[in-house]
Amino acid sequence: SECREWALLELQGVLEIQPSAQHLPLNAFSIGSLCRSQQEKYYFTIGYHELEGKKVSLKKPMLVLQKVLREDPIDVESSPVVLSTQYPTQVQKTSELKAIGIIRHKILFKTRPKALISK
Amino acid sequence: MGNASILELNVDSSLEVYYGETFGSEDLKLLEVDEPILQEILDRGASGEELDTKSETGGKRTASAMAAATGHLELVEVAPNFEKLKSLLSERLYGEDTDSMDVEESTSGLYTWDDLLEKLQLSEKELQEGLKSLAAVQVGGFWRLVDKKYMHCVFELILLNAMQHDWSLQGLKEKEVVSALMADGYSAQIVIHCLATYGQRVSLAFEAGIASNGSYDLDSHVWELNERHVCLHYANQLLSSASRWRVDDFVDAWQQNLPSGVQASLDMLKGKILIEKLGSDSWLYPFSVANLPSNPAERFAALFRERPRWEWEDLEPYISDLRAPGKSVDALLLKYTRRTQPTAETPPIFTAR
Repeated sequence: SECREWALLELQGVLEIQPSAQHLPLNAFSIGSLCRSQQEKYYFTIGYHELEGKKVSLKKPMLVLQKVLREDPIDVESSPVVLSTQYPTQVQKTSELKAIGIIRHKILFKTRPKALISK
Repeated sequence: MGNASILELNVDSSLEVYYGETFGSEDLKLLEVDEPILQEILDRGASGEELDTKSETGGKRTASAMAAATGHLELVEVAPNFEKLKSLLSERLYGEDTDSMDVEESTSGLYTWDDLLEKLQLSEKELQEGLKSLAAVQVGGFWRLVDKKYMHCVFELILLNAMQHDWSLQGLKEKEVVSALMADGYSAQIVIHCLATYGQRVSLAFEAGIASNGSYDLDSHVWELNERHVCLHYANQLLSSASRWRVDDFVDAWQQNLPSGVQASLDMLKGKILIEKLGSDSWLYPFSVANLPSNPAERFAALFRERPRWEWEDLEPYISDLRAPGKSVDALLLKYTRRTQPTAETPPIFTAR
């Protein structure tokens, strides 16, 4: 099964949408600009704040798991008791965790944001 | 972020980061994993709350469980739990009634290897280990637990026949044992299972292999009974006949019941009996580790209820089987007991924390 590598940006803080934009769909505008200035050095500009970060390897890789609800038809022949209803097949609901991504590195932003507004 | 372009971002370039189309509607969890098992998990999904790894890495680690914490999961090791296996197999114990029936009437409550793998969160190796530790036997494709009383009964008969026919316990001929017991209505499979549980096959003995006319009998398996099991068998009979015994009386009765050549020692009963000094006499009574909880906290609570103070020598057999992930026996002692040692010469005493 395909499991691509995902990128992880770690921020310390909360992303808030301006009241004037709250009626818009989430992906109508970008969160910010990500710039790679050096091999391991990145800048993330959100609104008028600039965050400086660096790329680090995770000590242990992380899997991105998605909960998937499955409905499988039950093989009526093999069950000792059959519930008689108008539906032709009985289903068995199971939940599965599907691995949809791997994360091996993160870009960690932990320094104090720099305000880009000039007085 | 599912977009690979962040990973591919070159030096001196930038891109805009957006919320994904499905952001907020997916039920996602992050799970930290060790590299060695990463590949395995990638090959299969996991159902419910437990991840099952079919292979073992490094001896002790076996099944894993996940603890959820606001979207971030940690892979925590747990020791394999055979309680569920035991309860499944206990639904229909193989006992006195079963042996005389040729065909089982219904197969409900009976489980094959595949059934067990499917129902339990155990790897194949663990299932094998579990079946072995429970002394389960495969009969007609189903794994069965034999009723304990029934097993003791069959064992007793084997021992009686051995004494009657003057067979050596180190060289029991399978053919002879099986035919003697089959005459009393016991099935060959159960007799052989009993021999395997209480002993082991030995390499073909020279005398056993050669028949009287000089031909080599290739079908002749030979079994050696484990001396400790023989001793325990008779010890258990004595222990169930009285609630407590004066130690000297017990040792005498025990030795007397044993087949000749078999030597008993109280050490064999470690983890099964406790000895108490009352005045000038020593008394023993049954106290089996098998009846105690397997969870460490509950185990220590039960032990300290029985006795407030324990010497290491007495305590050791009652905690040596405890398995807690990443915790050695010393760590468990540190967590659940208080250790005192009045003088350097006296042995250390353990009390409840």
